[in-house]
Amino acid sequence: MTAVTTLDTPAAVTSSRGPRGLLWAMLRLHRWALWFWLLLVAVGAGALLWAYGPGADAAWAEYHKAGCGSTTPPDLGCDLIGPAYTRYDTFVGVGAGILGLAPFLTAAWAGGALIGRELESGTAQLAWTQSVSPARWLAAKLAVPAALLTTGMLLLTLLHRLLWSTDGPLRAAMGSRSWYQGTTFEANGTLATSYALLGLAVGVLAALLQRRALPALGLAVVVLALLTTVLGTVRPYLWPLETLTNKHEYPAYIGMVVDEGALTSTGARVADPICVDNTKCLAEHDIVGFYRDYHPSSHFWPLQLVETGIVLAVAALTVLVAFRLLNRRTGAAV
Amino acid sequence: MTGVRAPRGPRGLIWATLRVHRTALIFWGLALTAATVCLVWMYAIADDARRGNVPCAEPAHDGYPSCSSVEAITVDDTYTQGIALVTTALTYAIFPVAAWAGGALVGRELENGTARLAWTQSVTPARWLAARLAVPAVLLTAATGTVTLLGLWARQDDDPNLVGDWYYPDVFLGTGPTAVVYPLAGLALGALAGLLLRRALPAAGVGFAAALLLYNLLERNRETLWPTVTRAEAGGFELPRSAWQMGWNDSLTRATYHPRSHFWPLQYVETGIVLAIAAAATLAAFAVLRRRTP
Repeated sequence: MTAVTTLDTPAAVTSSRGPRGLLWAMLRLHRWALWFWLLLVAVGAGALLWAYGPGADAAWAEYHKAGCGSTTPPDLGCDLIGPAYTRYDTFVGVGAGILGLAPFLTAAWAGGALIGRELESGTAQLAWTQSVSPARWLAAKLAVPAALLTTGMLLLTLLHRLLWSTDGPLRAAMGSRSWYQGTTFEANGTLATSYALLGLAVGVLAALLQRRALPALGLAVVVLALLTTVLGTVRPYLWPLETLTNKHEYPAYIGMVVDEGALTSTGARVADPICVDNTKCLAEHDIVGFYRDYHPSSHFWPLQLVETGIVLAVAALTVLVAFRLLNRRTGAAV
Repeated sequence: MTGVRAPRGPRGLIWATLRVHRTALIFWGLALTAATVCLVWMYAIADDARRGNVPCAEPAHDGYPSCSSVEAITVDDTYTQGIALVTTALTYAIFPVAAWAGGALVGRELENGTARLAWTQSVTPARWLAARLAVPAVLLTAATGTVTLLGLWARQDDDPNLVGDWYYPDVFLGTGPTAVVYPLAGLALGALAGLLLRRALPAAGVGFAAALLLYNLLERNRETLWPTVTRAEAGGFELPRSAWQMGWNDSLTRATYHPRSHFWPLQYVETGIVLAIAAAATLAAFAVLRRRTP
């Protein structure tokens, strides 16, 4: 064991400044995780702020220097992505990537270091003899990380939204990133934060089930990956779709397109026979129009809030199961 | 020892390594089986997929099939997704390997003292580490080599419409020797992290982070590993799809790119770099172990 650290002077008996008791123990025990989280938030915030300011300016300067964006017909090279835009995109990707990765890091840490290691090494059982009931111990283990995660994730989300609200013309010029794409969709609303909380809950339950650090870490990451995949798949169906129809060609491509095809004279939806402009072929298949089911960008918040509600409900259920499991194991009255 | 009846199957250190890490062994077997089954299935539907991905005309004429008949074939989507899934999983294998090597393979044994117990059982620390590295290395090489070769077999003519262009990050890493050496580098980096930190969870985290750093550094600098070709023509020109384009001048008369023939030089240089990092990490791990033990 290398757990020999400096012998700190015991906390003064008189009430000292700063956090005490369970809260102090939590922060002291997991100070590495705390520093790492602060570092991650700082890196994400720095990347997003850089992209918002100098990064976007440099990308615009490069775009105008190439003779693009003026009233004259644009140069052929306007859709070529230059080094300044690539750098801009990389920094935005770092910020959004941290928001996307944080739930998985949280699940791995919660399963491994927060609960699994303490149950494996017996320090949890030791804590329960020190006038801390198992339920209070678990509540502190959940509440402190949840508060820190929520703060950091919301800060990064707000910065991402700030960036998103101003770089619309740049995105349009380069044809990159849409509001409904996975990482962007999550980073622009409440979803990134709620997935991080789900990761915490899943990690805690995995550790209580496995009672060993490394198996709990693996189980937590795999379960969270399954949950995010399932929710990402059903995402378009969480709010009623809108439909556009058109007589001669497909309606414009505006937003998250979920389904498309051809319409017959009875109004039935069929797979497009790809006649293009061949009228004989269209008549043969009885095609009178085309449709697209989609979500316009005004559906962003309804979609976002319904999915957030589901994620938080699953997280709450997981926490409830974790408390019940702990209660049954320790046989203590809560 | 000739008088003693030799038991069948692996013995000694190898047996101990396989026995302690049987969960990882089962996971390895499941992953290899799943990848094999998927690729054999992809090979089986490869011909149909190619029929669903041809030029067409409506109505059918001049030897082109009708577009409605081609569009009705959806097996090409299944084929594309199946190939992409296995290729991506293969290129990401370094990450779980690095975390596992740091956490379960080395870190946990040093943390809870089972390594020191083993060293009292007529196993020297160096032989213990050699076995802990060699057994997973052999199994990983066998699995990644098999999946890479099966992938090349299932890709058949490498139609970029179906399996992606050769210079896509996943396709590049998953179709050559790089697919084999990256997980080995993850193993060595994880083991080094385990020996340096001597605790399971921090070592798993540091091993994973080191693998992430190596992967991203090389992905960002891959095009610089071999000199590019420059082509200039007065009236402007177009490059074929197989050219990995690096940049054009403002008037679109001069381009730098990697032609398809640079695939192998780029592969060899990257394989060499990754192998050198794996070897350096392994040597460093043995050096750390020697200094820590009497």
